[in-house]
This record gives sequence, C-alpha cells and structure tokens, in this order.
Amino acid sequence: MSTFNEQVMHQQALCSALEIIINKALSLNEQGTEDLTRLSQKTLTIILEELGFPLSFSVYTSSKNNQILVTTISQSADCTIKTSIKTLIQLQKEKKLTELIKQDKLDIDGDIKTAQGFASLAESIDIDWQSEVARHIGDIPTYKLSQLLDKLCSKLSFAAKQITADASEWLVHEKRLVVTRSQIMHFNSQVDVLSRQTNDLAKRIDQLTNLMAETTQNKKPHE
Amino acid sequence: MFIPFGKTTINLLIGRGCSKLSTIIVISEVKMSGQDQKPQKNDSENTTHFGYKTVEKTDKASMVAGVFHSVAQQYDVMNDLMSFGVHRLWKRFTIDASGVRPGNTVLDLAGGTGDLTAKFSKLVGRDGKVVLADINSSMLNVGRDKLRDKGLVQNIEYVQANAESLPFEENTFDIVTIAFGLRNVTDKDKALRSIYSVLKPGGRLLILEFSKPEHELVNKAYDFYSFNILPKIGQIVAKDGDSYQYLAESIRMHPDQETLKGMMENAGFEQTTYKNLTGGVVALHKGYKF
Repeated sequence: MSTFNEQVMHQQALCSALEIIINKALSLNEQGTEDLTRLSQKTLTIILEELGFPLSFSVYTSSKNNQILVTTISQSADCTIKTSIKTLIQLQKEKKLTELIKQDKLDIDGDIKTAQGFASLAESIDIDWQSEVARHIGDIPTYKLSQLLDKLCSKLSFAAKQITADASEWLVHEKRLVVTRSQIMHFNSQVDVLSRQTNDLAKRIDQLTNLMAETTQNKKPHE
Repeated sequence: MFIPFGKTTINLLIGRGCSKLSTIIVISEVKMSGQDQKPQKNDSENTTHFGYKTVEKTDKASMVAGVFHSVAQQYDVMNDLMSFGVHRLWKRFTIDASGVRPGNTVLDLAGGTGDLTAKFSKLVGRDGKVVLADINSSMLNVGRDKLRDKGLVQNIEYVQANAESLPFEENTFDIVTIAFGLRNVTDKDKALRSIYSVLKPGGRLLILEFSKPEHELVNKAYDFYSFNILPKIGQIVAKDGDSYQYLAESIRMHPDQETLKGMMENAGFEQTTYKNLTGGVVALHKGYKF
C-alpha cells in the first residue's frame, strides 16, 4: 500500500522543481556550465534530517548540454552527506567543517572531492540578473526596477532595525518582561560576592571547628 | 463510423478513412458511447478485448497500432493536457523506484516518445545502455527524433518489438520498464513471461499503468472525466476522439492492482509490490527476478 506522501509524490515534485531551478541557474551562469565537466557522471547525495528522504544530484554532460539531474536514488552516490538544514546554514556562515563533523552534526561518506566539487560549483554561480531582466523588459524599466529594489532593501533593513529596537524598548522598559544586559551583569556580580562571602564563612566555620577539636583534645590529659 | 440502430449503435471500423482505428474491417455491436457502455468480458481463446469491444486476438495488435499511428504526433501534448502534467511525476516516481545506477542496461518497453528513456540515458551514463522498444513504428520515430533533438545519442538503441516475444537474449537487462503500455498488449501473461526471460537475475520490472482508483468518489469523477471530457480533448487537439474513447475503455478493461500483481507472480516475479499513485488512478508495480 502507498503512503499519503507517495500518493501525492511531493518528493518527485520537489526534485522536479529543484532540477528546473538548478539548471536554469546554471544556464544563466556567466561562467557557463564548463565546471560541470569536471564532475561528469558524479553523484552527490544529501540526506537532510528535515526531509526524511535523500536528494541525489547527478551530473550529466554531453556535447550538446550539461545539466544536473535530481532524483531520490541514493544507492549509487559517490559521496553522501547526512546533515540538517540548520547545520548547512552554520557551515556556510562559520566554515567550521571539522568541528561540525566532530560534533556529529555532519556525516560525510565517500569521496569528499565530489562534495568539494559541488560546493565550489555552487559558489561559482554568478548570474547577471540585471542583464537577464533587461532582455525581457528592456533597459530603462530594469534600471528603474533595480533602483526600486535598492530602495526597498534599504527601507526593509531600516524597518528591521527599528522593529528590533522598538521591541526591546517595549519588552525591557515598558512591560519589564526582559532584563537588560547591565542588570544581568549586576546580578551576576552580586552572586559572585555572595559566593565569596559564603566561602569565607565556610572557612571560618572550619577553622572554629578545628580549634574546638584541638581545645577538647588538650584538656583530656590533665583530667 | 457510428450508425444509430435503435438503442444501440453498429460500430463499423472500415479502413483508415473511417476512424483511424484500424486498417481492417471489424463489425461489432456496442451500446451508445460513453459510460453506459457495458464492457464485454467474454474473452475466449481466440478473442480479446479492444476497449469495450471483443475482437479476434490476431486483430488487436493492428488495431492498437492504428490508434498510436493516429496519435503519435500529438502524444506528448495530449499526455500533458490529459493528466495536467502529472504524468511527469508518475514517470519520475518510476525512475526513483527503479534504483538505476551508472552502467545499467535498461529496456524501456512500449517506450513511446521516450520520456523514461531520456532520463535513464542520462543516469546510466556512458557505460550503460538504454533500449527504447515499441511495437509501433510511428511512436518509435517520434521518440527517436525527440531524443536526437535533445542530443541523446550515445547510449540509446531503438528496437521495434512486440512485448510478447522480445528479440533479446535471456538475462540481458538490469531493469525493464513498461509505462502505459501493458494494457495495449494482447497477451499480457505472455508478455510478462517474455520480460522475465530477458531480465538478468536480480533485475526488476516496473509497470506503470492506469489502474483502479481506491475511493468510489474518485472513481466516479474519473469515469466522468475519461468518458465525457477526455475524448473531446482528443477530438480538439489530436483530431481523433475515437482513439481517446479507446484509451478510456482500455483503462477500465485493464486488470486491477491485485490481479496484475498475481499475474506478475504467475510469470515468475518475486517480491512483487505495487504503489498507488494519485488515489490509484495510476499504479506502479514492481517485481524482481532472482
């Protein structure tokens, strides 16, 4: 019997969409698809925790066209990476590959050169979006559109900063739901002082206990 | 040619000029077209069904050939229109289920316009081979032109072959697929035995075919669509409504999921399973030769 996921074939729909997007991006890449020839016949499989099924990227090259095929077949992979989307984002930001492997957040099985080849291919993709858009809508509308997008981006960035500032103001000062950094530091230093005082008191108690014990022992021979 | 005769219609198929369905003369009595038709299941040793009609076994292959000669040029467009593009996902599902590897030898039986062959060709690579086989020369020509236009030439062979007696040595293929083709085969049991013979030990057969929807509501909607809308789309796009009427009828006459699974087992396949797709409108059967 088939599961609901098999019935609606969301895996195949995702593969199909990815294949179209990747190959479109490769076709628009300013450096062309020559980089693909180095990875000819190679397959990289990525198993993401969030998806629950493998995504295999196989490179097909011919004299007429080079492309990447996306399937869910994992048996013939040259390299298999098991990880999560969160770890991949972390890897992209911090580039701490060895550390992530040590933490068992990333598992690489097979030829690591294949994974590196795919990674460098992804990094090399450089698309001149303005030229592409201009081909469809013309130069002047593209110029206006890019200006509009720049303005929109800077406004969105300002709005994001403003919202963050307003939210912290409201949470910290108006509703007093969150404490400030200085309040935490003050609290921490008070805890440190208290900890030191407690240690001192413990030492004094120990000293007094020892003194009492010695006094009791010295008194016994005279008796 | 449809001649009204009381509550019934005498269906005359005389040569290409009349309905494109056949080059021979077949006279049979059927009820009015559409869902009201009752399938005739009186198959004997010498007869079989062609849609809802009973015909001589020797005639079916040429009648089916007539259908596909007629629709070959518009086949891909019609597939997209009829299935709303979902046939691409069904085929992707088949390829994913095949577990194809670089270097494999694949037979795409009744491969038609080569959708599966194109994908297999890229996945098996230079060391592998894909044979696109179809009984119908028109379909094979359309498929060959399409694949060559895509630059797929290096590892594909084209063979005009009948699934019932495949012209290949025993133990030749790692994978055999037959997508939307088995229901048109006259002797399905013979075809399954023939496929079993050409598969290597460890090889697998994948049958992608229309089947019986799981839910009654889906079944009713599907019936309405296939008998009322589909032939009209066929008439407008492919200028051949009769062939798409045959398509709807042939789907109803095709064995359901469990029956086909049993037929595969009878032919010798092991670990036979099937998966219903899109509510059972289509099913993918898979079986191994060990």
